[in-house]
Amino acid sequence: MTENTDLLTLRSVSKSYGPVPVLHDIDLSIRDGEFLTVLGPSGSGKTTVLRLIGGLEPLTSGEIHLDGQDISRMPINRRPFNTVFQDYALFPHMTVSGNVGYGLSVRHVRRKEIARRVAEALELVQLGRFADRFPAQLSGGQRQRVALARALICQPRLILLDEPLAALDLELRRQMQEFLKSIQREIKTTFLFVTHDQEEAIGMADRICVMQAGHIRQLGTPHELYYKPNCEFVARFFGENNLVAGKLGPVQGEQRPIETALGRLVCSISGQPHLKAAADGASAFAAFRPEALHLANGEDSGNRFSGTIADLAFAGSSTVATITAGANGAAQRLRLRVPSRIDGSALKSGETVSLSFAPHEGHLVLA
Amino acid sequence: MNALPRPSTIFLAAITTLVAVLLYSPLFVPIVSSFFTISQGNVDWSSPTLSTYAALAENHDILAALRTTLIVGVCTVILSVVSGTLLALYYHGRRSGRSFLQFIIFLPFLMPPIISGLALLIFFREIGLERSLLTVVIGHTVFVLAIVYRTVLMRLQSMSRTLVEASYDLGATGWQTFWRIILPNLSSAMVGGAILAFALSFDETMITILVTGTQSTLPVRLWAMMRLGFSPDINALVALILMFTVLLCVLAARFLIPRQMATERT
Repeated sequence: MTENTDLLTLRSVSKSYGPVPVLHDIDLSIRDGEFLTVLGPSGSGKTTVLRLIGGLEPLTSGEIHLDGQDISRMPINRRPFNTVFQDYALFPHMTVSGNVGYGLSVRHVRRKEIARRVAEALELVQLGRFADRFPAQLSGGQRQRVALARALICQPRLILLDEPLAALDLELRRQMQEFLKSIQREIKTTFLFVTHDQEEAIGMADRICVMQAGHIRQLGTPHELYYKPNCEFVARFFGENNLVAGKLGPVQGEQRPIETALGRLVCSISGQPHLKAAADGASAFAAFRPEALHLANGEDSGNRFSGTIADLAFAGSSTVATITAGANGAAQRLRLRVPSRIDGSALKSGETVSLSFAPHEGHLVLA
Repeated sequence: MNALPRPSTIFLAAITTLVAVLLYSPLFVPIVSSFFTISQGNVDWSSPTLSTYAALAENHDILAALRTTLIVGVCTVILSVVSGTLLALYYHGRRSGRSFLQFIIFLPFLMPPIISGLALLIFFREIGLERSLLTVVIGHTVFVLAIVYRTVLMRLQSMSRTLVEASYDLGATGWQTFWRIILPNLSSAMVGGAILAFALSFDETMITILVTGTQSTLPVRLWAMMRLGFSPDINALVALILMFTVLLCVLAARFLIPRQMATERT
């Protein structure tokens, strides 16, 4: 299985429920063997994308191609995809092995073969001992794994997961994230994972597709989304960020200055041609992560400004300071994240400090 | 809930007990007296006996009526469960026309039985259908359909829609989904509905009297016996019917109250 070949392609796919449009002209390619996460707030249309691919809903317009062939009108039970539902949708009247074997038994696979493959699938999700239990006798995490085993036993080309971890508590969710990731590596099947939790997305995905209001805002690796968001929405939605509004100055090689209330800030624009092409004076934001911001020392050349520490919040391994910076009337609230120290942080509330971030750790997004 | 002052609690308890005794004690009179014989119009309390039950067992009219009742009950159950389930499946998830259909289905159940019975009687005469056990079965089915429909529909509505989606998603056809997912999840509701339908059919009197031919069911037979005078085997019959009905209700409750598919078995 080679990566970078497209398994599934959505071509200008739209979906409306009656007069209400929920997806506008979506184009999306899913690569063979990747773990693609569709991330978005509720109402962004992310679950609709999954339901359209799975065939649970008809398209309003557009096409879905699998290996280059149009499957837009292929009925749900013929599509080589399987879904892990948010509520797991385990059949309550069947045992675990009955549930897992269902996809094979409706295809009239021989009993012996079913038994062998069910045992294999349950082994993979570490539920071998629970084969004869009913779903009502399992914990949330176990049900989750049954649903996964049931989806992957038919060896689908693509597994669709609809917020499958939403109902689990935090610790179990972390375990399941690692577990899902390891299974995906083991069986090398393409996973399409829908979630509203950006931490979950960062932790698991090869690529993330950020959606908002029925549009795809950005598609890229977690690293790209984190360090090179292409719009204000992604910059704000994906991880903590500081955004300072301003007007773009003239391009300086791989960097570009922006005039803000905090003064002139220089940010990197490498690899982002649309930022190079933007007109001088265009409205934009300087964006820099709380961990990129630091207390200025003598060596910092640019991007210096002073601020007052309004609040300090201890968050375990790190401490987050809320800082008010900029001239009166145009005051900005910024976040600064520094490693916590056992003897208490060096920062004090109410103190005025000089702050800085390196130009290559700042980026720009157009307003 | 706020606790009431003690005197009012006692007062309430007394009233409740009195009402319960007044309402329900008559039910126990025939049961108790069925174990005693009646001589010269008075109950002979001196020696309890099962002779009334023995007399009942030898009464061929009653045995024939019992057989008729069972035949009618079974036929009614089959007809009403099949058609009630089909109607519930058809109208589940449909918006248009559903409230009208429900109204139609519930009408015979809520109307005075004598009106339903008369309406059916006139209808059968108009279409030239002889009064027989068939007309009784039709009458009972019309009457109990609402119960089965309602029971099955409620189960359908509580069933997660994703179960059906999951079945299709796993490659099942519509037919496979129906037989292997939908029907098994409805089965306990159907059994519960069937038991209730049987209990209703078992003691339905008014409609039966109007639409039956020459054969009479147990309650109709009882009605006829009462007109001829009070006899001790009536007590025995009433006691038996009462126990049977209670048994059916207990059974129905077991199937209709949601419970886990299976308790710990490992």
